[in-house]
Amino acid sequence: MKQFRLIFFLVLVASIQTAKAQSLKFATIPAGRYQVGAKRSLINPERKINLPAFEIAVTEVTNSQFAAFVAATGYITDAERKHNALVFEPGLAEFRWLEDSTACWRYPNGISRGGISSKMDHPVTTISFSDAEAYCTWAGCRLPTLDEWEVASRAGANTRYFWGNNREGIRKYANIWYGRDHTTADSTDGYMYTSPVASFKPNGYGLYDMYGNVFEFCEGKTATDKKDSKLVHARGGSWWCSKNSCNYFNSVDIGTQNRHASFSNQGFRVVKAPSPGQER
Amino acid sequence: MRMLMAGLLMMASLFVNAQDEYPKPSKESLDYNVYRTKVSVPPYGLAKVKAMIAKLTPNDEEIEKLPDNLYNSLSLREKFTYNMIHGEIYSQNCDPMPPVEDEHKKIFAQLPGAFDEYSWSDKQTQFFDNNRDSVIALIKESVTRSKRVGVNYKEAIVSMNAVEIIPFLEEVYLRDKKDHDILTVFLLLMKANKYQPFLASSSFKKLYGDDANYGTHIVYNSANEQLILQRVNDFYKNYKR
Repeated sequence: MKQFRLIFFLVLVASIQTAKAQSLKFATIPAGRYQVGAKRSLINPERKINLPAFEIAVTEVTNSQFAAFVAATGYITDAERKHNALVFEPGLAEFRWLEDSTACWRYPNGISRGGISSKMDHPVTTISFSDAEAYCTWAGCRLPTLDEWEVASRAGANTRYFWGNNREGIRKYANIWYGRDHTTADSTDGYMYTSPVASFKPNGYGLYDMYGNVFEFCEGKTATDKKDSKLVHARGGSWWCSKNSCNYFNSVDIGTQNRHASFSNQGFRVVKAPSPGQER
Repeated sequence: MRMLMAGLLMMASLFVNAQDEYPKPSKESLDYNVYRTKVSVPPYGLAKVKAMIAKLTPNDEEIEKLPDNLYNSLSLREKFTYNMIHGEIYSQNCDPMPPVEDEHKKIFAQLPGAFDEYSWSDKQTQFFDNNRDSVIALIKESVTRSKRVGVNYKEAIVSMNAVEIIPFLEEVYLRDKKDHDILTVFLLLMKANKYQPFLASSSFKKLYGDDANYGTHIVYNSANEQLILQRVNDFYKNYKR
């Protein structure tokens, strides 16, 4: 009887691991010496780094994938626990967000603005850095480091964007905001909020949505972080980002955030463990 | 007028389009950044309010709001202090203003954020609106004493659309002409109130036009300074209350 239980348990674990692996596709970023940062940037100064090869998900983690995690673990997100998620609706002044006690990953901009039943292939949002870490622990992966994210996003380029320095190229590659401000709705690229992952063209490594859809949480500290800082970082752009607001849809800028803050333009993609420096 | 036109021609925009490097700020520029991003700390019940905030965020991990019963037990002046030093909600990931070169030589289109990763909640901005006269009086009192206008005071002034404080702010500015963000407050007030002569100007187009962003600025020089002061005075004289 004990043997039967053990076999059942092992089969269950194996099938869960298989399901996790099947739901995420990865691209291999080769080992190498890479240039990152920008000349004279304070937060992300230009430098050369050595990186071992790593495997990064080609898309951001979707609602469907996050739902599997919640179903398996019963995990409760920061927004569900604190009821303090920040959401968007057209009409807000620049950089203003609405606090909505009903918002969480199931209702990214609050119950009145709709759920995710028809958006299971969109990136999960209205989750915090802490929530993303919990997902990674369950899925046996981790968040990319700041350097890994940048190398993956550059796809071999040393320019601000993986296609060069002309911002106009963004239209093919990312779901961003084209309105002059956020007082009126903008769906110029077909989407006001998130789009299904991989709706736009990938970069040279086959990675989708590196500059748009949702900001992506990364591990690590920046050159300007205080030694004991508990703040975290996210990179790339999001559906909210416009050329007139923050311009963060590029390979250089690094945003800063509280690890428990939940916004409807924040999400993540994962990297297969092990961590840099860990024995392979 | 010629001088003003010459000033306009000297304007430069900081449009970070396709820029693959950031400038390295000088010490003077960095010092000015520290100066302009400092908040004013009101003295009213400060020790009491700070102690309440410290209890709210013992680990400095999660932002918390003062529970209603505690908030309501504060006097108006103490509420002013609480709201001026404690943003109750998170700010989004991106920093609208990365460091820039020669910050002290620029008049920006926008103000820097007062609380970095935090912002005022709707309840907090409503406090300013609902107690407008008192808030303006307390700001004046505090500025007169400290001789500086913190970025939180400037944000509150813009948020309340406090046009009536323009003469006072101009007086403060003219003392040493150091705080160019006071000029930014004037620009934002004229913009918010759709002051036509400003909206029709080339400086408006530079600062708030289709290609402007949160780092956009015009050069600080006496011509631009005079132009803004002249405009804001005209605006104030003609403002219908």
